[in-house]
Amino acid sequence: MERAIPIPMLILAILGFCYLLFPILVVVLAGLTTGEFLTFPPKGLSLRWVISFLQSEKYLSAFFFSFKLALMTMVVSTILGTAAAVFLARSRFVGRSALRAFFLSPVVLPGVVVGFALYAFFITSGLGISRTIWGLWVGHILYSTPYVIGTVGASLATFDVSLEEAARSLGASPLRAFRKITFPNIAQGIQAGSIFAFIVSFGQFEVSLFLSAPNSEPLPIAMYNSLRYKFEPDAAAAGIFAITLVIASVLLTNRLVNIRRLLERQDG
Amino acid sequence: MADGKMSQPRSLSQHQFKWLLVVPLVAFFVLFFVIPVGLLFATSFNPAKVGQVALVSDLTFDNYIRFFSRSNYLMAAGRSILLASIVSVITLIVAYPMAFVIAKTENPARNTFLLILVLASMQLDMVIRLYGMMVILGDNGLINQILQELGLTDGPVALMYNFRGVVFGLVQFAIPFMVLTLVGVIKGIPSSLEEAARSLGASRRRAFMRVTLPASMPGILSGSLLVFALSISSYIVPALMGGFRVGVLPIHIYQQVAESARFQFGATIAVILFLISAAAVAIYLRLGNRKSGGLA
Amino acid sequence: MTKKATHSRRSVLKGGLTLGAAATVPNMFYINHAWAQDVVYDGGVFDAGGATLNVAEWGGGWEEFVRKALTNQFEEDFNCKINWDTSFPWFPKFVTQGANDPVYDVANWNLPNLMQTNAAGDFFLTTDEIKANVPNAADCWDFAFASGAGVTWAYQPYVYAYRTDRGAPVNNFRDFFAARFANKRGTYATENGLMHAFFMATAKEFGKDQYDMEAAFTALEGAMPMKISEFTFNMLSLLERGEVDIAVHIEGEALTLKRQGAPVDVWEWDSKPILTQTKTISRYADPMQKKLALALLNRTLSPDFLEPFGEEFLWRPTNSKAAMPSALAAEGVTNTADAVSAYWVPDWDFFVANKEEITDRLNQIFGL
Repeated sequence: MERAIPIPMLILAILGFCYLLFPILVVVLAGLTTGEFLTFPPKGLSLRWVISFLQSEKYLSAFFFSFKLALMTMVVSTILGTAAAVFLARSRFVGRSALRAFFLSPVVLPGVVVGFALYAFFITSGLGISRTIWGLWVGHILYSTPYVIGTVGASLATFDVSLEEAARSLGASPLRAFRKITFPNIAQGIQAGSIFAFIVSFGQFEVSLFLSAPNSEPLPIAMYNSLRYKFEPDAAAAGIFAITLVIASVLLTNRLVNIRRLLERQDG
Repeated sequence: MADGKMSQPRSLSQHQFKWLLVVPLVAFFVLFFVIPVGLLFATSFNPAKVGQVALVSDLTFDNYIRFFSRSNYLMAAGRSILLASIVSVITLIVAYPMAFVIAKTENPARNTFLLILVLASMQLDMVIRLYGMMVILGDNGLINQILQELGLTDGPVALMYNFRGVVFGLVQFAIPFMVLTLVGVIKGIPSSLEEAARSLGASRRRAFMRVTLPASMPGILSGSLLVFALSISSYIVPALMGGFRVGVLPIHIYQQVAESARFQFGATIAVILFLISAAAVAIYLRLGNRKSGGLA
Repeated sequence: MTKKATHSRRSVLKGGLTLGAAATVPNMFYINHAWAQDVVYDGGVFDAGGATLNVAEWGGGWEEFVRKALTNQFEEDFNCKINWDTSFPWFPKFVTQGANDPVYDVANWNLPNLMQTNAAGDFFLTTDEIKANVPNAADCWDFAFASGAGVTWAYQPYVYAYRTDRGAPVNNFRDFFAARFANKRGTYATENGLMHAFFMATAKEFGKDQYDMEAAFTALEGAMPMKISEFTFNMLSLLERGEVDIAVHIEGEALTLKRQGAPVDVWEWDSKPILTQTKTISRYADPMQKKLALALLNRTLSPDFLEPFGEEFLWRPTNSKAAMPSALAAEGVTNTADAVSAYWVPDWDFFVANKEEITDRLNQIFGL
């Protein structure tokens, strides 16, 4: 039998992965150094800086702040974004592509601009949420939702509408048709979209720049504010911790989704 | 075809239901995006006054005149467009094989492993990730050390603190976004399509070029658009990889707003950046409509 | 108002480091606000009931040391929490939120940025108001109050920090511009106070006087390519890794690298500018925060903090009762009323007035 993946493609992919992962590897190793400074190659390997990170009030509180913020953002973005993506895929009104572009527009504007616009807006409107988690939440939702729309939209685009229509013509209500036919087919898109939303929020730097304050400081800002003064290994250790976390969460959600799909099949 | 269905009796309730899907997001965007950004953009027509945030009634085009009469701003605009275009193309070339391999890896464990590699790399904070890039690309970095060991160069090759460095950094930053956009689309291409082409006698390469690649066009377009948008609006990568020496529009915006507090002029540059991006989106959408029209 | 402020600032800056000038000037700043007088502080310890004090301060090694030597104990003694913000620059944050809703209660500044902010509004307590409520201020030399808007608590001279393993020692301001340091020179982004001083010193060296901006632009253009850093601590790591061989720096911090064994030495600029650290208190901070701010400033000015801080980074104190860092004292540096009279303070007033033009031209030179 023929290989599913042609050899040249495989080689190119491996090179691509090297390019993507080499800097990450450097940081991970540097974060495991036993030395005083962030150096490469590391002076011996130890968990010293990971432990230091786990004991550092500054990074750890920023880490959990970011985590909370990313979860909050993920929930709202996934719901609003999936709904909007379904709307965009299922309606044929004239302004559809304009609306799609409109939802994408936060991504094309520098986060610094939107962050500042929100900051000024919160101050001048007297909303009083500038430099709080709520203000950050608003900014992050703006930046995460387009990814959900994009991923869910892409999976809807490849999904055959006629299936849902067939279900409908057999008497299923729109909601039931969506739940039974469309949702299982785009579940992976939604899952990817929500992971996207989480990661984009967790790594969001530019939007947060104006909207954060020391007591509401996401991890990237905390890192930037300390790394612009000094390269510390515990910043790299924070990265190691974040990577571990994402691996765990992907494994977990993947298992959950696979189980669901298994059940889905038995059901059908 | 879909239009025909809409005129059937039950389409009315369905129609209202559909609008409910999008209303919350539209409301959110109007309140927290259109109004704040609109107010900011409006200030670009106010006279530049350091420290003044609020909109005033004086109208002027001075900021735009300043932008278009200073060569460094115009060059920054050109550089931004060039940078985002180059990064989109390179990222596509690097990321497509990666996405293809992930999409075609049937073994769930291996597939998950590859996806984790991509996601985990996104999860490493950009600021610290750029430190990794510095170690590799710096004047005394690994690549320069290897080059000098091999006697290929005398002095260090400037791989960062310049335009090239920003490209390297942005591509590394953008790969996961492109990969994740492409994987879903490539997976969605029925393998029967390619098999059909093969059974009709097309070579493997030909089947790929004629069937798989065109069928992944929606993903290629939306991925490139995403990467273009991310690159043209990134501040932190040009700042750190360019060593504050590669002038792109976000750096100027940051300087005007966050350092000099010349909000009106910062808003002006933001408006221009937004127009450039909007033009790019329009071009992509037109391309996208034509392509998907062709596919359907 | 603007004109008056400009005039008074100029007289401060021109005569700022001479005796007596400071004493006459702050009155011109004094605006009799009802809110400004609601707080008095006598130097004692009080219970702030868990209040939060917003402080703008440098990060990195600076933060680590100051927390250990000053603020951790302060939080404990006064039952308060310090919100430590390192997201420099402070100027845009002050002007965006306005004087009536100060973004920070206490801010630590380099002079040019402070001058710019002070000119933009009624943000800070005057030196007279501070003197009346900060007992330790009485022990400070007059030059500590020259800014008119805060108290300068430490200073140190500008130097070139250079690697000793890359050729002859540096002994001239123009060495930085020499061909051998091409692409191995380090300076700072346009907003950094060190870049401001470097610019003025370059004008003085290459031009007729410090006001000769064109001469500075030409010289800096010729110095490209340079490596640009954001802060002194990061510049140290560039030096340590050998990414730069010579850098604009300040004496004490650069010497910490030498003490750690790196092949680095310093050369003090012959135009003798100094980098100063000045703390301001926001006029419209809430009463409890303002009282805490006065208390924090009082502790900052105390020899109990200034001496260990000086030993660590070789910052020189402005408090007459604090001892010079021992390494400096051994070289004959003394703490006297005219300690800074030999030094040169660039005309920051001129700099602030031309900042827009300077920033634009520097951007162009840096390739932005």
